[in-house]
Amino acid sequence: MSAQTFFIGFFGLAAVWFGIVVFRTFSMVRSALALLFSQTALGAMFLSMQAEFLGVLQIMMMATEMSIMAIFMVMFMMDPGGLGEMDMTHQKRLSLSAGIVSFVAAVAVAVFVDWGPVAHTAPDAAQQTVDLGLELLGRSMLIFETAGVTILTAMIAATAVAIQPATWRSKHEH
Amino acid sequence: MSIDLLLALITGAALFGVGIYGALSQTNLVMIMMGVELMLAGAMVNLVAFWRYLHPDNPAGQMFVLIVMTVMAIEMAVGFGVAIARFRAKGSVEMEEAVELKG
Repeated sequence: MSAQTFFIGFFGLAAVWFGIVVFRTFSMVRSALALLFSQTALGAMFLSMQAEFLGVLQIMMMATEMSIMAIFMVMFMMDPGGLGEMDMTHQKRLSLSAGIVSFVAAVAVAVFVDWGPVAHTAPDAAQQTVDLGLELLGRSMLIFETAGVTILTAMIAATAVAIQPATWRSKHEH
Repeated sequence: MSIDLLLALITGAALFGVGIYGALSQTNLVMIMMGVELMLAGAMVNLVAFWRYLHPDNPAGQMFVLIVMTVMAIEMAVGFGVAIARFRAKGSVEMEEAVELKG
């Protein structure tokens, strides 16, 4: 077994394990941190697969995203520390069945499909970044620009939804 | 088939399965969003693996990963916007209490 295979398996296992921990702990802050570790392990897995740019991007993005998520968890949960051991789940059996069925189906597809010849080498990190940059500003420019505009729209929409309505303000001020 | 590709695809499948369990079983909006994040992470692993082991010379594969990351960011932004609106209106983000979408 090569070192690359070992690290892909190790970080993959870590990502799945921390993903499971997200829903097993009662503490919501620990849930957010477990999700952060899961996503970081995924970033390390990308690095093991020689996708350097995506690996670094994943780790940087998720570190920020999950820190914000942890703050929201503390703001909105009734029991963020988890000391009350509140059960905040429903339809557990159905959810578990759906999760297992989708996992088995996806693994079956992965195992039984003939994926064709596998490439053993990938372009080096610098070449990958050059290629991706040319792709983003060339053939895929419209998709890239659409993604940018969609994020802007989402930011405006999220602010519009979250802003205090004037009726609410007047009701609570008087 | 390459063992590395198989490992990556199995990891993606496992993350997707855990994500579906979380999205369906949790009653809190933020926890449901965490489940959706895990499902998207599963899709992302598959995309990276397909790019690396099947088409490493085509950067469009990496482009798809960037789009999934965008979807993750949008999901977080809009989800938290809805969570703030819901918390302000009803004082909780428990989805079992949300039988209607009215604010």
